[in-house]
Amino acid sequence: MSAPGESERRLELLDRMIRIREFEEGVRFLFLEGSMPGTIHQCQGQEATAVGVCAALRPDDFITSTFRGHGHAIAKGLGEQELLDELFGASTGCCKGKGGSMHVGNMRKGMIPGIAIVGGGIPLAAGMALAFKMQKTNQVVACFFGDGAVAEGAFHEGVNMAAIWRLPAIFACENNLYGASTRIDLVMKNPRVADRAVSYGIAGETVDGNDVEAVHAATERAAARCRAGDGPVLLELLTYRQTGHSRRDPRQYQPEAERKAWAGRDPIEIFADRLQAEGVIDEAGVEHIRSRATQRFAEAVEKARSAPQPSIDDLETDVFAAEGAP
Amino acid sequence: MWIDVKMPDLSATEGSDIMVKRWLVAEGARVKRGQPLLEVETDKATTEVESAATGTVAEILAQPDVKVAIGQVIARIEVDL
Repeated sequence: MSAPGESERRLELLDRMIRIREFEEGVRFLFLEGSMPGTIHQCQGQEATAVGVCAALRPDDFITSTFRGHGHAIAKGLGEQELLDELFGASTGCCKGKGGSMHVGNMRKGMIPGIAIVGGGIPLAAGMALAFKMQKTNQVVACFFGDGAVAEGAFHEGVNMAAIWRLPAIFACENNLYGASTRIDLVMKNPRVADRAVSYGIAGETVDGNDVEAVHAATERAAARCRAGDGPVLLELLTYRQTGHSRRDPRQYQPEAERKAWAGRDPIEIFADRLQAEGVIDEAGVEHIRSRATQRFAEAVEKARSAPQPSIDDLETDVFAAEGAP
Repeated sequence: MWIDVKMPDLSATEGSDIMVKRWLVAEGARVKRGQPLLEVETDKATTEVESAATGTVAEILAQPDVKVAIGQVIARIEVDL
């Protein structure tokens, strides 16, 4: 049995992962119905990386995200409504309808809008961490990127700069084995991403990215290191995308046996099973969390469908930083 | 209640028509949300289109080996309530 308070904290991790899964599955069907325009990049199967990292951060810590950002957003505290409004292009969305699926974020909740350029968030996170250090705010930035970003020049420049200045940045690589459709070993001689930490003189760790508590614990260690002035840290979170790179991708490059093996290691099932085995929750309790998430999503969709679209007068607002803004 | 199954925008070349290859269900069949309904061919590969609802296939409105526009209604499903 977990200690009091501890159970609530663990159940919150489960709840957050289930909310992400329900959100992504719901959006998938909106796309199939033709209600959701454009393409979308989803994270089914990767919920534990987003939730494990964000749960170990403080509310005033920041994350940077990628084009696959719905899960990061929910994990960092954005709500279904502001996200769905954004996906429907409404002015009530988290980016006032100008970001869409690829660029969700909310500065007030510690998530800068998603950066769709592969690797683009890495130097940006180094810059944010430099600001935190110079302003002595004791904040940390966690930078999410995929294995596809690791062989980009931006990775080297950003991580190296963070290393020489001991910046409070957690470089969280969600290694799902494929950069779009290209398997990691085709683009890296050494496919173990965490090994690169040594060459920058920083701490690095490979973590089971489908175990939310392992991710959480590793991120807590990394954040403590960063706040003590011993950052940055490179975390390699091993996970698997149970969906296409985008909605147009039938992911035929993922071998059947590999898909099945990872489907058997679903992050939500693993954690729900563990909590049930330890008596923290029963099957009906898990089902309740799931139906609550489904309901929450359905209500948000109904509102988002009729949410107001931005007007032409809003075209130039929020495009440039206001003069004198920090 | 009925829902229209519309051809989703699955083409890698955005906006191009998509070929219906083969229906995996017949009219009258029971289907579940997420169950593959048909195979379509885009410029890259064969892809399955899944059902957005649980119910009964009421009508199939697109024939195999015919290209249809994105958004065109290709089937109707009588939804379980």
